[in-house]
Amino acid sequence: MDPVTAMYVAQGMHGLAYGMILFLLASGLTLIFGMMGILNLAHATFFMLSAYLCYQVIAWTGSFWLALLIAPIVTGIIGVLLERFLLRKVHAFGHIGELILTVGVSLVILESVKVFWGTESLPVQIPNVLQGLVTAGGLDYPIYRLFIIGLSLVILIVLMLILYKTRLGMVVRAAVSDADMVDALGINVPLVFMLVFGVGTWMAGVAGVAIAPILTVFPGLADQVGMDAFIVVVVGGFGSLGGALLVAIICGLLNSYGVQFVSQLAPVLMYIFMAIVLVFKPMGLFGERE
Amino acid sequence: MKGKKWLLSIVVVVCCIALLGLSPAMGAKSKFDPSKMGDMSDLDLSNPVIPTGDTIKIAIVASFSGPAAAVGDIYFASVQSVAHDYNKRGGILVDGKKKLVQVIKANHESKVPIAKKVSERMVLQEKVDVLWGTNGSHLMKVINQVADKYKTIAVSAAAVSDELYDAQNFSRYSFMTSISTSQVGRGMAYYYGQVRKKETKFYILCQDYLFGHSIAGGFKAGLKEYYPDAELVGEDYHKLFLTDFAPYLTKVKAAGAEVVYTGDWIPDAANLLVQARQMGLDLPFANLFINNPPFLQQVGIEGTDGLVHIGQIGSDGKAFKTEGQIKYYKAWNDQYPKWKKPFDTTTYEHGTGTIGAYRMQTYWLLDVIERAGSTDPEKIIKVWENDTWEDVNGTVYKMRGIDHKTERDLFIELYVPPEQQKESMNIEPYYWFKDCSNTGPSYKLPADKVTPVMDPKLKDIRKGS
Amino acid sequence: MMNKMLKWILWLAGFVFLILYPKLFGIYYSNVFVTFAIFALYATSYNLLLGYTGLLSFGHAMFFGTGAYGTALALTHISGFPLIPALLAGALAAAILALILCPIMVRVGGTAFAMLHLAFGGLMYVLALKLRHITGGEDGIGGFDIPPFSIPGIVSFDMTDPLQFFYFAMVVLIGSIWILWFFTKTPFGQIMIAVRDNAKRVDYLGFRVPQTKAVIYVFSGAFCGVAGAVYALFQNLISAEDGFHVMTSFAPIMLTMVGGIGSFFGPIFGSAIFGILEELTTRYTERVELVFGLVLIFVIMFAPMGFVGTVKMIKEKWFTRQGV
Repeated sequence: MDPVTAMYVAQGMHGLAYGMILFLLASGLTLIFGMMGILNLAHATFFMLSAYLCYQVIAWTGSFWLALLIAPIVTGIIGVLLERFLLRKVHAFGHIGELILTVGVSLVILESVKVFWGTESLPVQIPNVLQGLVTAGGLDYPIYRLFIIGLSLVILIVLMLILYKTRLGMVVRAAVSDADMVDALGINVPLVFMLVFGVGTWMAGVAGVAIAPILTVFPGLADQVGMDAFIVVVVGGFGSLGGALLVAIICGLLNSYGVQFVSQLAPVLMYIFMAIVLVFKPMGLFGERE
Repeated sequence: MKGKKWLLSIVVVVCCIALLGLSPAMGAKSKFDPSKMGDMSDLDLSNPVIPTGDTIKIAIVASFSGPAAAVGDIYFASVQSVAHDYNKRGGILVDGKKKLVQVIKANHESKVPIAKKVSERMVLQEKVDVLWGTNGSHLMKVINQVADKYKTIAVSAAAVSDELYDAQNFSRYSFMTSISTSQVGRGMAYYYGQVRKKETKFYILCQDYLFGHSIAGGFKAGLKEYYPDAELVGEDYHKLFLTDFAPYLTKVKAAGAEVVYTGDWIPDAANLLVQARQMGLDLPFANLFINNPPFLQQVGIEGTDGLVHIGQIGSDGKAFKTEGQIKYYKAWNDQYPKWKKPFDTTTYEHGTGTIGAYRMQTYWLLDVIERAGSTDPEKIIKVWENDTWEDVNGTVYKMRGIDHKTERDLFIELYVPPEQQKESMNIEPYYWFKDCSNTGPSYKLPADKVTPVMDPKLKDIRKGS
Repeated sequence: MMNKMLKWILWLAGFVFLILYPKLFGIYYSNVFVTFAIFALYATSYNLLLGYTGLLSFGHAMFFGTGAYGTALALTHISGFPLIPALLAGALAAAILALILCPIMVRVGGTAFAMLHLAFGGLMYVLALKLRHITGGEDGIGGFDIPPFSIPGIVSFDMTDPLQFFYFAMVVLIGSIWILWFFTKTPFGQIMIAVRDNAKRVDYLGFRVPQTKAVIYVFSGAFCGVAGAVYALFQNLISAEDGFHVMTSFAPIMLTMVGGIGSFFGPIFGSAIFGILEELTTRYTERVELVFGLVLIFVIMFAPMGFVGTVKMIKEKWFTRQGV
């Protein structure tokens, strides 16, 4: 590969890696909305919280892998508690209620994080095995970014398998399209909701741990990624995993090739893309339900 | 009649010579004198002693919450340590009364409307004498507006954009004691073009706002002036608080840059450097703000080796040349181990670097107030305009009368592994930090080569006043 | 009769209070009051849409921001531009934006409406951020001359004087709120409420629902623009962050919720509550956001009808007990 091609390929890989992080975050968001109709504005805050937890677990145990296991689970549990004790009660007030509540929760978590960990950037190191670069055909690419792409793909496949090959998945899909009917069939829908919310926040947690070594861990960590993930959900269509995946990758690529070719306007591209899609398909590319 | 005129002109000439002879002498008189320092053995930043009542009030208008909250603590530590010193000396004689110095935190939350509001509260309700600010040129602009409106002294110790003191934004109540973007740019260009003369391919990567463009502009102007052979192979401005720097870094790599010039501050600077090293990009970063110790430690010795930092405080070669410098250093460093959160990180270990610069600027401010003998803004302005003052390292600061910018020597610091840091850190333990690269060789950039730009329009405007 | 008299006395008392306010509380609190009034107008204009038509927008900052930028740009680029036209320029800019958007917006509702606003709001934000030669980007445009309020040959008020600006801002903001209130009392306002409650019936009655929505939409946008314009004059600075950030879009939603949804005066109470809260918290703690977060959670959990709703509920309980 000549250097110029290598550069374009590298940009594609960057787009893919960032897109996959977005997907991990967006998939939880889209599942939660698609199934429960909840606009969870605290979702990105969980992502940030998990990065902090990851830092803490590494500080205690020295193991990134343990952090990758524990931090998202703890985050998921906090998510479940949020759903069970707060969100469920305000569901009756519709989107505005959830909006207010989740904004409130995210402010509280953000401030608590600062109380516990302070405001300086905290370090998370890439584990030794994933350090360094892979060289193939004139292209050097960081192993860790490949790991992120791989990890997200594994999660995506497992998620798809559960959703489309198991009974639980069937229930979840059914509940997405018609919760009342599923409830009438005698299935404990609130429990399923809680589970979905937990899995959604867990995935945000995985994304948080995955990004921690790339970014330093600091309070503003989630601001941009959170907004980008929201765009992915909106454009992909609420409740559509496939839509989220497709749009996440498109957004990632728009971002990296945008920087390459129209550097100054790179951040604008994603919004233009969003505006164009929504003007023609107000419910997003794959969204149907109002 | 004719004879008298002749006599008069002689008198005038003699007076002028006397004045000329006198002014350096006067300049030498006002300086930071470590021997006058109060007893600092009880300096505890985590439990600060802050006097109240009839005091000289300094409001630190900064972010104490939000993404940039850490900087507020750094400012507070710096200013409070100076206030503590003066309070241990018994205060400052102003308007016929010895007064202690009170430091007040004013949280602007990094938001413009809050910055305006909180500055107004400080001026109108707390009746502070000085507004001390801040990170973010747009926020400093607001502070300066408030200072101008309510006739209160403002000090820009941390906002470095030249534009804050151009003809449109200038306020005679505000003084820029910090380095300015044009100085940084010219200084870096001077170092690469006139001192180092090695690398020729530069890439500018800065944040997309006034400061980022301003510091990049300074460098471009500097290259034209001091390094015409240099080639600018790329130029990008990224969003603040960016997540993924990889696309930019790939461009840097493909452009064949030898040096990346950046004005980024943390967390952007941190993410930029970490991701660059992860991508195997081992270029030197010529920077202003990649000097935060915990972050350097995070990147490690290897990753931080070869960084080129430009600073407004420092020394030519060895850091400690006099007993006074050591005393001043120890006054902080000896107390550091007992401080608690958030002052227990390595950011606060030495009290040099950025913190050192803020401390010195605050000493200058208080020295000016002491010499003015008053907190009356008009009297302070009178003393401060065209004032010269010497800091602990013997660097002379000159407050330019026309646009209130400070002329001073700057320092280039090359970051090297711990065992080579003794070139700079020449007392026990002979390194600054043992787990990251830090200042080793350092060079002085003479003040007359790195004067801050002046808006020519200001000359006309200020003549009238 | 008695009731009407009482109302007039209350209005008069309020009027006198406002005139004396700067004298009583000083410049600092006058400025606090101006901020409160700006957000009260912003939230009230927003609530015209949310409360009266049930349309939830996640992007109303674009009208606020456009109003602010309209005024700021006019004053920056046209020297000697007078005050009132500058103010109107802001309002007009916002109204034009609303006019452009309304053909897209009125044909959707619910989530799609909210998300479209999120999208266009976000687009405006990044545009303001990135087109820095026009908007000043992250730093915004500021330092423009604030022209005096003058009727040539008669009077001229210096708008850089905080006191005189206070009165000017009060006239504009309270005047605007009054116009909005008057608007809801017109027959058209009644149709508005009917659209929210049962759009189909309104349609059958022969009123055009999309057109009704469009009129409200533009009206709401224009007055958000007025709020933004006053904001730009007041701060003498407008940046992408203050004008277009998504939190600026959420602000009126929160103010409306805390003040009381479904009541015209709710957002005004909400703005007052947040104003007071901010004054108190910033004095005593750096954890302002924590307090705000807890307040939001508390309100939605225990007083979901907001301040006005809760007061009403307590009042009703009180009266029923009296009746018993």
